[in-house]
Amino acid sequence: MAFIEIENLKYRYPKAERLALDGISLSIEKGSFVGIIGRNGAGKSTLASAIIGLVPQFYKGAYGGKVSVAGMDAATVPVGELSRKVGLIFQNPFNQLSGAKDNVYEETCFGMQNFGIEPDEMRRRADETLKMLGIYDFRDRNPFDLSGGQMQRVAIASILVLHPEVIILDEPTSQLDPAGSDEVFKAVERLTEEGITVIMIEQKIDKIAEYSDRMILLDDGKLIADGTPDEVLSREGLDAYGIIPPASVRISKALGYKDGQGFYPATADKAVKLLSGKIQFKQHIEDDKTTQSSERISVQNLSFHYHEGLDILHDFSLSLDGRTTAIIGQNGAGKTTLAKLLKGLLKPSEGKILLDGNDISSSTAASLAGSIGYVFQNPDDQIFKPKVIDEVMFGPLNIGMNDEEAKESAMEALSMVNLASASERNPYDLDLHERKLVALASVIAMDPDVIILDEPTIAQDDSGKQLIQKIIRGLRDNDKLVISILHDMDLVAASFERVIAMASGTIIADGTPREVFSNEDVLRKAGLELPHITMLAKKLSSGSVVLSDEEFLGLVGS
Amino acid sequence: MKSISLYRDNGTWLCRVHPFTKLMYIASAILVPLLIGSLWAYAVFIALDVIILLSGKSLKRARGLVIFSLTIILTIFIIRGLFDEDNITPLFSIGPAVFYVEGLMKALHTGCVIINMLLSFSILVLTSKPEDIADEMERHGFSPRFSYVISSVFSIIPQMMSTMSTITDAQKSRGMETEGSLSKRMKAFIPLITPVVTSSLINTRERAIALEVRGFSSAKKRTFLNPWKKHRGDAAMTIIMLITVIATAIWRLATWLL
Amino acid sequence: MSDKNIFRTKFDVATIVLIPACIGINYIGKLFAAALKLPLWLDSIGTCIGACLGGPVIGGICGAANNLIYGLTTGDSITLIYALTSLFIGFFVGIMARCGFMKSFGKAILTSLVAAAAAIVVSTPLNIIFWGGQTGNVWGDAVFAAAQAASLPLWLSSLADEIIVDVPDKIITLILVYIILKALPDKLTTLYEEGDRIERLD
Ligand SMILES: Nc1ncnc2c1ncn2[C@@H]1O[C@H](COP(=O)(O)OP(=O)(O)OP(=O)(O)O)[C@@H](O)[C@H]1O
Ligand SMILES: Nc1ncnc2c1ncn2[C@@H]1O[C@H](COP(=O)(O)OP(=O)(O)OP(=O)(O)O)[C@@H](O)[C@H]1O
Ligand SMILES: [Mg+2]
Ligand SMILES: [Mg+2]
Repeated sequence: MAFIEIENLKYRYPKAERLALDGISLSIEKGSFVGIIGRNGAGKSTLASAIIGLVPQFYKGAYGGKVSVAGMDAATVPVGELSRKVGLIFQNPFNQLSGAKDNVYEETCFGMQNFGIEPDEMRRRADETLKMLGIYDFRDRNPFDLSGGQMQRVAIASILVLHPEVIILDEPTSQLDPAGSDEVFKAVERLTEEGITVIMIEQKIDKIAEYSDRMILLDDGKLIADGTPDEVLSREGLDAYGIIPPASVRISKALGYKDGQGFYPATADKAVKLLSGKIQFKQHIEDDKTTQSSERISVQNLSFHYHEGLDILHDFSLSLDGRTTAIIGQNGAGKTTLAKLLKGLLKPSEGKILLDGNDISSSTAASLAGSIGYVFQNPDDQIFKPKVIDEVMFGPLNIGMNDEEAKESAMEALSMVNLASASERNPYDLDLHERKLVALASVIAMDPDVIILDEPTIAQDDSGKQLIQKIIRGLRDNDKLVISILHDMDLVAASFERVIAMASGTIIADGTPREVFSNEDVLRKAGLELPHITMLAKKLSSGSVVLSDEEFLGLVGS
Repeated sequence: MKSISLYRDNGTWLCRVHPFTKLMYIASAILVPLLIGSLWAYAVFIALDVIILLSGKSLKRARGLVIFSLTIILTIFIIRGLFDEDNITPLFSIGPAVFYVEGLMKALHTGCVIINMLLSFSILVLTSKPEDIADEMERHGFSPRFSYVISSVFSIIPQMMSTMSTITDAQKSRGMETEGSLSKRMKAFIPLITPVVTSSLINTRERAIALEVRGFSSAKKRTFLNPWKKHRGDAAMTIIMLITVIATAIWRLATWLL
Repeated sequence: MSDKNIFRTKFDVATIVLIPACIGINYIGKLFAAALKLPLWLDSIGTCIGACLGGPVIGGICGAANNLIYGLTTGDSITLIYALTSLFIGFFVGIMARCGFMKSFGKAILTSLVAAAAAIVVSTPLNIIFWGGQTGNVWGDAVFAAAQAASLPLWLSSLADEIIVDVPDKIITLILVYIILKALPDKLTTLYEEGDRIERLD
């Protein structure tokens, strides 16, 4: 019998009508790296919970079929026992803390204590893992005071130290900078060499295709495909399942090249093997001509610190015009801090911020609400009303709209994010990706001139990402200034006119996507990497920085 | 985030004394004068409390804990002194108000009980870390759930405080004025309490899952990251105090029976 | 709730994490009351929520643990004495909630009166023993002083003191609890409502 054996698994959450899992059967061998993909709501997280027994033991509801892990029945063996074999890192890093420890080090050790691991061994593992994930320097910090990406690293560390035999990672890198997320992928890949089974749920299809040796596609609780990444991602009609295949597949398909087994290559390296020599890049791409418009926001010599003597931003200056601007950079670089300063939620210790020429560094956030909107990184920090519509109407009401107007603009904003039908629900009953969209709608409903989005694509599937791109374009067309913090380079390449790269509180690059992505030194320094399509073109020695499929295919010609 | 615990490690011997020893001290500081029943016994223990706190360099901070009870002690003096049903002997008068000896003596007694209690507890409160107390209880056979509840309370309150400021941020950033005049801030308080409470309850669900996957309900015996460093004399002190309590109890019984 | 037994109590992890949250909520309530200078305690909101979600036993535990923990660690050792009061408030609110008395606003008010009664019956003797009958609340103690000046018996004055303080406090508390419970998402409440049954789909 395989290490994990799932037979005809069915599950329905309490009070739900639909099955979240509907007749899933699979078996997973020790030491394999399995990637699970599928659109939002496909049942990926539910499947993960079923393997560790949280479904059905914790969530209750209706359950059918059988799941066994190392011979234990996941429906009946207590989760406390199963968790010795199975480690689960779940989707939202903001709520994975034990809540009993006030520093990162003890937080990391909490699980080991429960398993009765000796203190010396505990320290050894904690030191090793914290160093590997680059958060050793934060070991004495309160875990609740960390940046999003740092917190996610703590969540990963606290499970890795347990040395489970199966490790399930549910979008473990959603808030990590590209370099950090690559490190996590590499680290878990190393684990498989030691015989540990890795199951990873991901929306970053390009990445998961590169690392997994088996890929499972779920949709609507059912298993749609199960095979090698090449096989699964070469299927026709993936967009019906909300999946956009990796750049390598898209390009090979467009050019009509298949490998020996009749599949498109799912990784850039395989694509290079397949395509090199066969295609030739014709000409170079002209540098983009950007139209610099008049200045909207001017940040002058700003300094800020959370703790005296530890400046997060120091003598920071920046000028923003009407172009949609992406702010990228490593975790803890100070991106969220900058956004909060612009929004007036934090007050600079020195320097000033001008909005359309007026100094706003001493205005209250509330008085800026109508002009600058900010969508928080963690939607749960932003949502506080028990009904979606009230949540979205809150802002409009505060900036002086009457009930009717507020309701109208709220419904309009909700339709924009496809959530009009959820208007009467409790936001907390929605899934994470939907809450993120509610948070976005609640800012759009106020129709501010400047909108700051803090990692808007967290937890979104490909269609969610496309929706967000569409919204950004729409805002731009209405002359709004959109500033977005992002770790998703593909989106940066696709939708932004200007890119600002930050590292340790300073700007290390500023320009069009093409300019920034041509400067590899800078990218390395900021923990960034190239967009996948750019990377593929580069590996095929394109000679210029390619930012989209169209550009790629245009250069290759036919 | 600031902890609500008043514990500070000031490096004195008192911080290294085992919390159980301090608990034993509290028990004797409350029981012995209660059994003896006279004011001098309270005086002795209050003096003892002060000496211990002084040598642990914590008296100043203990004063803060006592001061807030002084107003209520004062009202006890006034109400007892004026109106107590046993009042017979006038002591002095302020205008038309006559204060009586009996009532004031009763108030003095109550005052001593309160101050002795506050001081003896403050020894534990100011010099032992709540998480250490929780760990120690667990090591001595209490359920890990019990010690989780204790340590969790201490981290949950600062978390709620920061939830409060994130929710304020969320409200501010969507146009609700929370700064400015007192009445503005008062108005802002009310819509704050429900979301703070709901969001902390909602967090419990995720936290329960987080605990489950980290083996919290695992049956295995738990280990501790920091072993307790024993302080010399803990056992001896505990035994001496235990003997004192028992001796007083026997003496009390004897005086009743004989 | 299909289960007949109103004292049924689960001690799973979900319940264990509920207890510190409730204790924290009590603290926040107290803080609000102090910050707004309200003549109320508002220090049993959490206890009542614990009681409504977890039942009378959890309510009682939340109440007692609340006073024990604060008494032993924040220097406010006087609250230790009132652990008994909190225990009974939690216990009785739990019973009322399990009997359906938190389902509508009117019923919640009734529950608040029960909670106030529990508080008054238990606290009055404690006040008499430890404080000579006072509560430490300005308004209540003014009534107490007046009653004593009018030579009413100590227990009666003390009772009046308690009533003045506790009835409004518990009414406001349970109104807040009612509003909060309404705002909780199903994802959370099902955790405490659902029996231990797992329906089979085979
Ligand atoms: N606790 C819950 N109670 C009720 N329904 C739930 C719960 N959690 C998830 N669901 C529902 O079950 C279905 C599957 O959800 P699941 O979280 O497994 O999807 P997912 O594939 O992980 O999606 P995502 O990419 O958004 O994380 C969805 O329709 C979701 O709304
Ligand atoms: N409330 C806080 N108290 C103290 N330090 C903080 C606080 N919030 C953030 N920091 C620290 O400030 C630095 C910058 O944090 P910030 O949240 O701005 O990073 P970021 O660039 O948004 O990172 P990420 O990509 O991980 O979200 C980090 O080192 C972080 O640990
Ligand atoms: Mg999921
Ligand atoms: Mg951030």
